[in-house]
Formats: sequence, structure tokens, C-alpha cells
Amino acid sequence: MNLGNLDSLTFFYPELILLGGILLVVISDISLKGLRDRVNPLLTLAALLLALFYTLQTDHGSAMTLFEGMLALDNFALFFKAFMLVAGVLVLLGSLHSEELAAVHQGEFHALLLAVTLGMLLMANSAHLVMLYLSLELVSLTSYIMVGYLRSDRLSNEASMKYILFGAVSTGAMLYGFSLLYGMTGSLDLFAIRDALLAQEVVGFNQVTLMLVVVLTTAGFGFKTAAVPFHFWCPDVYTGAPTPVTAFLSVAPKAAGFAILVRFFLGGLSQPAGEQWGFISGIDWPLVLIVVSVLTMSLGNIAALTQNNLKRMLAYSSIAHAGYILMGAVLLTGTGLKAMLVYLFVYLFMNLGAFFVVTVIFNSEKTFELQDYNGMFRRSPFLAVAMSIFLLSLIGIPPFAGFLGKLYIFGAVIDQGLYWFAVVGALNAAVAAFYYMRIMKHMILENDDRPPTPLQISPLNRALLVLLLVPNILLIVFWSPIDRWTANSITLFGGL
Amino acid sequence: MNFLEMLALIPLFPAAGALINGLLGRRCSRACISTVACGTVGVSFLLSLGAFYQLLGRPEGQRLVEQELFTWIPAGAGELSSGAISQFLVQWGYQLDPLSAVMILVVTGVGFLIHIYSIGYMAHEGGYARFFTYMNLFMFSMLTLVLANNFVVMFVGWEGVGLCSYLLIGFYYERKSAADAGKKAFIVNRIGDFGFMLGMFLIFTAFGTLDFTGVFGLVETQAQAGVLASGDATITAICILLFVGAMGKSAQVPLYVWLPDAMEGPTPVSALIHAATMVTAGVYMVARCSALFVLSPDAMLLVAVVGAFTAIFAASIGLVQNDIKRVLAYSTVSQLGYMFLACGVGAFGAGVFHLMTHAFFKALLFLGAGSVIHALSGEQDMRRMGGLRTRIPATFWTMMVGTVAIAGFPPLAGFFSKDEILWRAFSSSQGHVLLWAVGVLAAGMTSFYMFRMIFLTFLGKSRMSREVDSHVHESPKVMTVPLGLLAVGAVVSGWVGIPHLIGQYLHHLPQYFEHFLSPALAHPAAVEGGHASEGLEWGLMALSVAIALLGLWLARRFYLTHPALPEHLVSRFKHTYTTLLNKYWVDEVYDLLIVNRTKDLANRLAGFDNRVVDGAVNGSAWLTRLTASVSGFFDYWIVDLAVRRSDLIYYLSFPLRRIQTGVIQTYAALTIGGILVIVGYFILT
Amino acid sequence: MSVTDIVFILTAIVTVGSAVVVVVSRSLIYSVFSLLFTFFGVAVLYVFLGADFLAGAQVLIYVGGILVLLLFGVMLTHRLYNLNLTTERFQPIAGTLIAAAVFASISLAAFKTKWKLVGEKELEPTTQQIGEAFLSSYLLPFEIASVLLLVALIGAAMLVRRRTDV
Repeated sequence: MNLGNLDSLTFFYPELILLGGILLVVISDISLKGLRDRVNPLLTLAALLLALFYTLQTDHGSAMTLFEGMLALDNFALFFKAFMLVAGVLVLLGSLHSEELAAVHQGEFHALLLAVTLGMLLMANSAHLVMLYLSLELVSLTSYIMVGYLRSDRLSNEASMKYILFGAVSTGAMLYGFSLLYGMTGSLDLFAIRDALLAQEVVGFNQVTLMLVVVLTTAGFGFKTAAVPFHFWCPDVYTGAPTPVTAFLSVAPKAAGFAILVRFFLGGLSQPAGEQWGFISGIDWPLVLIVVSVLTMSLGNIAALTQNNLKRMLAYSSIAHAGYILMGAVLLTGTGLKAMLVYLFVYLFMNLGAFFVVTVIFNSEKTFELQDYNGMFRRSPFLAVAMSIFLLSLIGIPPFAGFLGKLYIFGAVIDQGLYWFAVVGALNAAVAAFYYMRIMKHMILENDDRPPTPLQISPLNRALLVLLLVPNILLIVFWSPIDRWTANSITLFGGL
Repeated sequence: MNFLEMLALIPLFPAAGALINGLLGRRCSRACISTVACGTVGVSFLLSLGAFYQLLGRPEGQRLVEQELFTWIPAGAGELSSGAISQFLVQWGYQLDPLSAVMILVVTGVGFLIHIYSIGYMAHEGGYARFFTYMNLFMFSMLTLVLANNFVVMFVGWEGVGLCSYLLIGFYYERKSAADAGKKAFIVNRIGDFGFMLGMFLIFTAFGTLDFTGVFGLVETQAQAGVLASGDATITAICILLFVGAMGKSAQVPLYVWLPDAMEGPTPVSALIHAATMVTAGVYMVARCSALFVLSPDAMLLVAVVGAFTAIFAASIGLVQNDIKRVLAYSTVSQLGYMFLACGVGAFGAGVFHLMTHAFFKALLFLGAGSVIHALSGEQDMRRMGGLRTRIPATFWTMMVGTVAIAGFPPLAGFFSKDEILWRAFSSSQGHVLLWAVGVLAAGMTSFYMFRMIFLTFLGKSRMSREVDSHVHESPKVMTVPLGLLAVGAVVSGWVGIPHLIGQYLHHLPQYFEHFLSPALAHPAAVEGGHASEGLEWGLMALSVAIALLGLWLARRFYLTHPALPEHLVSRFKHTYTTLLNKYWVDEVYDLLIVNRTKDLANRLAGFDNRVVDGAVNGSAWLTRLTASVSGFFDYWIVDLAVRRSDLIYYLSFPLRRIQTGVIQTYAALTIGGILVIVGYFILT
Repeated sequence: MSVTDIVFILTAIVTVGSAVVVVVSRSLIYSVFSLLFTFFGVAVLYVFLGADFLAGAQVLIYVGGILVLLLFGVMLTHRLYNLNLTTERFQPIAGTLIAAAVFASISLAAFKTKWKLVGEKELEPTTQQIGEAFLSSYLLPFEIASVLLLVALIGAAMLVRRRTDV
């Protein structure tokens, strides 16, 4: 079903609410000089929660396209929309008591947070190359500004600058890929592109060109998901950005990148068919992505081994996790997609948790260096235990949530008979355990000579930590709702 | 109210209590903590009572209530050994049938009394909230264990009680012996749990489900259809693996070593976890799987032999121990042996019967011992006690009841349950006269060491130091009232299972207990013997009472009338005595054979770690350095802007980070280079 | 060779040539002025493709807006003539290699691919079509582009905020 512009508005409430939120925050920032610091976070939170409410309420009957085929509304998109909004809420809460951001005026920060969330919602359901590009650019542009938010901080500015330059290169490559695709098919609509490719039998040099398209567009998506070799910006940007922004970047735009990648490759370049998609004849694009996935997780993990700066280590670790998530996307199966969604879901909580502990420690210690974490267990057992749980979850040790993600991913890979791929993944998980454990070792086992001074954690931060711990611990018990939800969310609209 | 529909609330209340005390306990008063802890368990007890009566009100064939709360693990399909594909689906479900009904009554009832007692016992101890949090958590886990309707949820409870046991044994963690005992319990239990897990895996591959009703239903239909023969190898393997799990949890030889050490925990913990409830989980599990066990005579024989051996082995160690709690600990191991003996000869009902009566009198004895220790300001050595009968009369009389009950004098609880086991060991087709003889001998020893404990502690002359003597005081009401109630239980709890032999003279009193349990248990084909005449049964009964009397007489002679005699015997049988006193040197042998070997292995692995694993890490550093020098080539030649002179340059210093130069042009060039390499690869192939 | 072809070749030479000057010129002023020619050249190429509105927009936005902004920026910058944009480590070989490889693969694709061609088309004004598309089938991208601009404005506002106000 294709809806016109007016009819589509009924299904567009979450985006409209976010848009209204942006305007309200900007206005209140200008007009309510005295109250704005209290009103803005509340407005932002209200907008995000309301949007989340409407997203979860959306009952679209069957999958359809909105706005004359610009957006595809299906369960897959709804999963990502809910995901982005939850991430937005968590990052907002995490940024409230961040000393890094406390030093600067935060009015724009909240407007930008809403804008980037809006961009990601659109990314999740773009079904048209123009929308795809625009929403990606909306997310990128906002991210650049957020990364450079600490204007008086040189690292932050520099990170922003690099992010812009690197983003320009990747997006340029992606746009060039789009233009080649348009030249071959004469359409910008994903489903029309797929139909055109199926109709005309891709033969001869067109195969090479299509391959070029795959690689060039992967550059654009790889830039968002920080996959090797499009990851170079990632460690520098993550280190320079304010920590709550880093946490946000490591989760939400990455997930949006995966959403758009799946939508593009499965929606546009594959034959739709039940449980197993087939790729259009002769173009083995999954192989490209498998290579990228292996490179991504290996490089991320190996580089993280010797980092001594927590933020940088987590940056590399998030690169590695992108590799695992990609494993699910390249299988072209329902179980693979489902595994990817499960992994993303648990990754949201464990990664945000780890970054949040880093934020809390930075608040009072002003350091990201690993050796300054020594003796943390004696100073704040709660924080050390919380961090340990997040890290164990990131390693994938049961009974913590991360185990579920790894279980589903490796299960899906083995289902497809790609044993070597699973072995590479498992080896990587073992390497990863090494540096995660190193953090725990520093926090718990190593003590310095100074007498332990208790670490102050604000009640809000403590509550947020508990909020992030709960899913990490309890997901293993409430397993089946996740299973059902993700199984339900892999229905991808084929435009048929 | 329909209590049968509120099954889930029974474990949930203690869980809520644990949550409240765990999160808010440090801010609350002691009164508040104990009210929450005891209140929640009390409510569970009332709910259990209600559920029990409503279950009783149902017709016999319908005494099974299942309640599935939510789907827990929907893990997809798995291939069975038969080649069929089965969905691995685990529901978080509870079930109530006669067996679990008995268990929840024992657990909540005895548990509630022990919680009350703890208020007094722990009144002057630190870590009050922590203690009650763990206790409530234990109650939750134990109730989950016995109410579970499938193996996986049961395993969750199984691990949960193990965790709580570990935490509570190590409650005084600043004491090294307590921390060590906790670790010992944890590690020994791991061995058993491993067996349990393997058993579960095997059950799934054999039957494609882990639900109790599913598995046992399949076993029954397959056995009737003749697909499953008695002595089937898979069934035997499953049973033996499950029994290994039971051996760990229920402290059977050779995995019993953790239980005596577990007495390092506070005494109410010993009473609740290490006497009345948790350690009986193994017996419960074997009884629960009786449908499997009856199909495997070999596994049954193993259970019976291990049980009988444990019964006499532990009893013999108990003869010479001087620590009041250790005597009771070995006694517990020995009594658990009886329960397994019963299961092994096919008398699962008798095993569960003994489990129930034992819960009463052993909890009573432990709490009494706790009361003695409390009165003597922490003294546990019986050689420094004596003459306490008049000083703490309430404790004395209740403990006396417990002792008479466990020694097996009629008409107290222990007599009925123990006699039932001995009779079945003798008469059942799977029994043997040797098993019976071992049981009777162990019964005599039980009587001896229990009365020895009573005489040394309460009678004779005081051997206390003056310091301790001046502080002796009877425990407060909050401790003695639970003792009294448990003493009542120790007297009457056996009356629900009066054997037919005696019952026929008491207005034809039926054997309520086994009759009630029988729908939930399987019965070996030819267990109802009747090989033996009524006269023989009377004779054996008289014999077991006589041997208990003999034990009593010997204990009296040794420790009351002729105090010099033990010394004389010790010098005469010095070797035997030291062997017994040192518990057959089992701990030392384990240390030598297993613990030290494991340490060696660990040291060697550490060496491997240093050399090989670290080497691999360094190797990866080398690899990265290699890539870095390649990228350094780019780096050197590429345009450099002001960005270059930044703080990020610091990261350049580290070779591993060389590839991450911080120069954006490098990144762009590498990215485009990467694209080109991928494209080139595809064009060439 | 028709007149059209000659005009096309001249335009192409001007566009590419001025683009080269933009990159290699040592003076920022020269670079900016060369950019003017590049922009104009691109506009003419649009005309060749029959995209009249796009050509007009190119002139208006890039020449009228962006270039003027650039000029202001350059004029207001200090040390205008001493700026050395090429570094001492400038090494053309690696750069040329990568550029050549990119050029080769792109032009190979351009020539050897069987494109989907629409064939010869009458030149007609596109403004009305674009306007209608923006308000019908492309309404959403049109609106989202405005959100993008709003975000850019917010970012700009943040950048120019006085430091004392932070």
C-alpha cells in the first residue's frame, strides 16, 4: 500500500513530535533565560518519550510506504525507531549530570539531540535514495556539531573537524555510487531499482559497475557504522567528543547505519523471498561485507588491546562490535537479521552502561586513563561492580545480556554453515575478553597506596546506572519477549 | 481464595523480602528487617498450607496443578538422538503435586521457625540485613527448586540455593576458615552440578523436552509400549549423572566433604540449609525422577549402596567428634544416606518420609545446639560443657526430644520413618539383607553418638571455665518457642506414616503419607514384597529398637557411669580412634590427590599464559607495528595541516597506534585505497 | 564537429583547468577566483544537459552566495599573502597513484557500463516540473532539507556565540 502525503501524516506522529520538540527547545532557549536550564531537558525528555509512545502505539496493519514511496513503514523500521528513541532518552539522562557538558551552555545540545534522533528515525525507514541521503546527512551534520560541542576544548574541535572531512569523503563516495545506480536503472526508488535490476539481467561490465556501487555505498554506510576500512575517524572522534556524545555515537547512529545498510542491500539489491533472500545474479555483495566484518572485528579488538585511555579503548571495542553485528546482516536469512537485532538491543544497554561509568568517573576524577581506575572497587564498590557487569556483558559471558547477542549471532552464522566465520568471531571474542578483563583487573585487584576516598555519584546518575544494569542482568530471564519482538521485527517491506 | 492459582506467590514473597532487605536494609531498623524477612516467609507458609489443603481436597487423580508464568528460553530447534527435531522451549513454570506439596510445607514451615529463631540468635551480630537478605533469597531459590515444573527451572533453584549456601557459609568472611569452607562447598558442588547438567542434556536429546510431565509421561508410555526396556543404557546414564548431582548437593560419599566444614556458618544457617532443606534437594530430585530410576536397576543399586555406605561411614566419624555442630553435621550426612538407601531400594515414599521427619528433628537439634552455643558465649567443644540440664532446661528438654526421635525410639517421628526404610531395605526385591544390616548398625551408632552428645553437654559435671560458667543463660523466648514447636513436630510428624503393621491395631489407621505421595512417585515393578511374614516384620522392628537401646546404654556407660572407659578404649584402639577422629583422612587425601595436583596444573598454566598467551599478544603488537610502518610510509609523504600539531600527536608516540595518525588526509587516502583494493579484487576475479 | 561540440569542449577545458588552478595555486585569492570559473563551467554543463533551473540555481547559489562568502573570508583573514598551503612533505607520487586509480575505475565504469538511456529529449523548461515535484512526490525530502538547514543554522549560532556566554 502506498500512502499519499496527507494520509501519511497519521503514521508520522513520532517524527512530527520530535520536530515540534526541536522548535520548542529553540524557542524556550531564547525566551526563558531564567528557566531554560530546567525546562529544556524536560521538554526534550517529554518529546522523546511521547515519540516513543506513539512509535510503540503504531499499528500499521500491513507494511506500506509513506509520502509517495519515500519511506517504508514496516516492523523492521519500528524496531529501529523504538531503539533510537530509547537510546536518545538514555543519553539525555546520562548527559544531565555530566561535568563535561555542564561547563557549556546546553540549550542547543538538546535541540541537536532531538534533531539527530529525528534523522535516525528517518534513516530507519527511508526507501528512496534521496531520503536515504538526506536523513544520513541530517544525522551526520548534527553529529559533527555535537562532537565539537565543547568549543573551548581543542580536542573536541579537532575531532569535529576530522569528522566533517572524513564524512565528506565517505558521503561523496556513497553519492557517486547512487549516481551510478541511477544511471543503470533510471530510478531512485529502492524497490524500482531492484525491479529494474531483476528485469534487465545484470551482465557484462554492468556487474563490475554494480560491484563498484556496492563498494561505494558501503563506504557511506561503513562511515556511519565505523566498519573497517571506513573507521579511521572513529577513535579520534570518540576520544575528542564529550563522553555522553561518544556514548551516543557508539550506539545510535551505528544502529541507524545498520538499518540503512540492511534496507539498501536487502531491499534494493536482493530478491525478496521468504526466509532466505537471494542476491541478484552474479553480484556477491555478501562476500564484500563478510570481508569487511572480519576486518572490522579483528582490527577493533587487536587495536583495543594496548589502549590505556578508556574512551579510546571503548572506541575500538565499539568498532569490533560493529563487526559482530555485521555478521548477522550478511547472512541474508531471517535468523541472521533477528540475531543482528538482538545483538543491537543488548549492545545498547551494555555499551551505554560502560560509557556511562566512564562519564561518572570522569566527573570526579577528570581522567580517562586506565591506571587512574586503580582501587576503584574500594572507592565505590557499586561503580566497580556495575562496570564489571557491563564488561562481562560486552565479553558475552552468561548470565549477562551480551551472551544472548553472541549466542544468536554465532547460532545464525553456524546455521548457514559458515563455520570459519563463526570461529573467527569466537576467536575475536576471546581476544576481546583480554582487554575487558584488564579494565576489571585495574578497578578491582590493583590498589594504589593512597587511602581510598569514596567516590561521589549523584543520585540521578546512580539511578541511571541501575536502570542500565537491570536489562543487562534480567534479559536472560525475560528472554522470550525479546525473541518474539525481534522475530516479529524482521519483516522487511519488499515494496511488492 | 484459590490458593492453587497463587503458586507463584509462594516463592515470590521471600524474593520480595530479599529485595527489600537487600536494597533498603542498611537504612532500616533491625525490627523492620526481621519483620520483613519473617513476615514474607510466614505468608509463604500460609499460602503453602492453603494450597496443600486445597490439593488434598481434590480427587486423587487430579492432584497436579501446573502454572506457567512466561516463556523463558525459546532457543530454537535441536536434533534429538532419534533424529527427530524438537523445539527447545523452556517455560518458567511451577507445579504442585503431592511431592512438591510436602516439600513446600517442610521448607516454609521449618524455614519460618528458623527465621523466627534467627531474630534472637543474630540479635548481637553484625550484618543483620545481609543475613536476612541471604536467608530470604535462599527461601526463594529453594521454593523455586521444589516447585519447578521442568529441569531447567529446577536447576535455577538448584544453583540459587548453592549460591546462598556459599554466601551464608562464608557469612563471617573475615574469618579465613569460614571463607575457605564457603569456597570448598562451592567447588565440590560444581562437580555435582556438572553431572546434573550433563543429565539434563541427555534427557533433552533422548526425549526432546525438559518438562517433568513431558519427560515422565514419555518414559511411561515408551516403557508400556516396550520401546524402553528396563536397564536401558541411556536411562541408566541419565540416572547416574543425575545422581552425581544429588551426591554433591546432598553430601554423599565421596562428595560429602563440604558439609562438615559448612558448619562455619551461623547456626540457623546450618539448621535451615545444611540440615533441613537444601541438602535434601538431592533426595527430592531422585524421588522426582523416580519414573526414570525405576527403569534402571543398576542406577538404583548404585544409589542404595552409596546411601548405605554414607550412612555408616558418616555415623562412624560422628562417634568421636568433639565439636557439637560437627557431630550433628556427620549425623546429617548419615541420615541423608538413609534417604538415598530408601530411594535405592525403590521406596521413594519412605525416603521422602524420612526427609520430612528428619527436617523437624535435625532442625530442632541444630537450633538446640545453637542455643547451647549461645548460652556458652560461643563455646562449641563438648569437652568443655556438661551439667547444663538445670541451667538451660528448655533447651535440654527439646533437644532430648530431638535425640530420642533421631535415635529411633517409638512413638517419635524418627522411629516410623527409619523403620520403614530398614524394612524396605530388607524386604524389597531390590533390597538386600546386607543393606539392611548396614542400616541397623548405623542406627545403633546414631543412637550412641546422639546420646553421647546429650550426656556430654547436659549431664555430668560442669567442665566449663569459670568465665563461661558465670555467663550461662537460657535463650530468649524468640529462640525457645521455635524449639518447642519443632519438638512437637519431632514427636508427631511420624504419625502420618504409621506402618500397616501397627496401624491395624489402631482402628485400622492407614499409611496416609505414602498413600498421599504415591501418585507423584513411580513404583518398581515388584517392590511390594510381602515375602516376609508379619512375625518377621515385628522381629526386625524390635531388633532396631533394641539396637538403639544398646547405643543408649553404651553411651550412658561410657560418658556417665564409667567416664574412664573411653580413655581406656582410646589407648587400646589408638589407631582406629585417630583414624575416626581425623575423618578417615579423607580431606588430607583429597588435598594430596586433587587439590595439590590442580594447583600444580594451575601453576603450569600460568607459565603457559606468561610464555604463550602474552607472546601472542606481543606478536599482535608486532603485526600492528608492521602495518604501522607501512602506513608510516603514507604518513610521511602526505600533506600535513595545522591539525597535525595537536595534542593528539601524543598518540603517535606509541607504535601500535601508528596507523591512527590523527591526520585526516591519511584516513581519507587509506579509505579510498581500501575501496580500490576491494574493487580491484572483484574486477580481477 | 558542430558548434555545440566546440562549445562543450571549451567549457570542459575551462572548468577542469580552473579547478586545477584552485588546487595548485599558492595564493588563496587566485584559488577563489579560479573557483568562479569552475562554477560557471559547471553551470554551462547543466545547460547542455537540459537542466535550465539547475544551471540558474548553480549561478545564484554558488557564485552569488558561496563564492562571495569565501571572498569575504579570505579578505578578512590575516597574513593573506604569506600563507603557505603546501607543506614541506608534499609528495605527489602516492597522491597521483591513488587519483589515477580512482580516475581509471570511474572512467572505465562510465564508458563500459550499459546505461539506461532516456534518448534524445526536447529542451523544455524544467522549473515548473521541479516545483510541482517538490510539492507533491518530493514533499518530504523538501521539508526534511529544511530541517537540515535549521540544524545547520543552530550549529552556526553555536559557533558564533560569544565565548563569554558559554
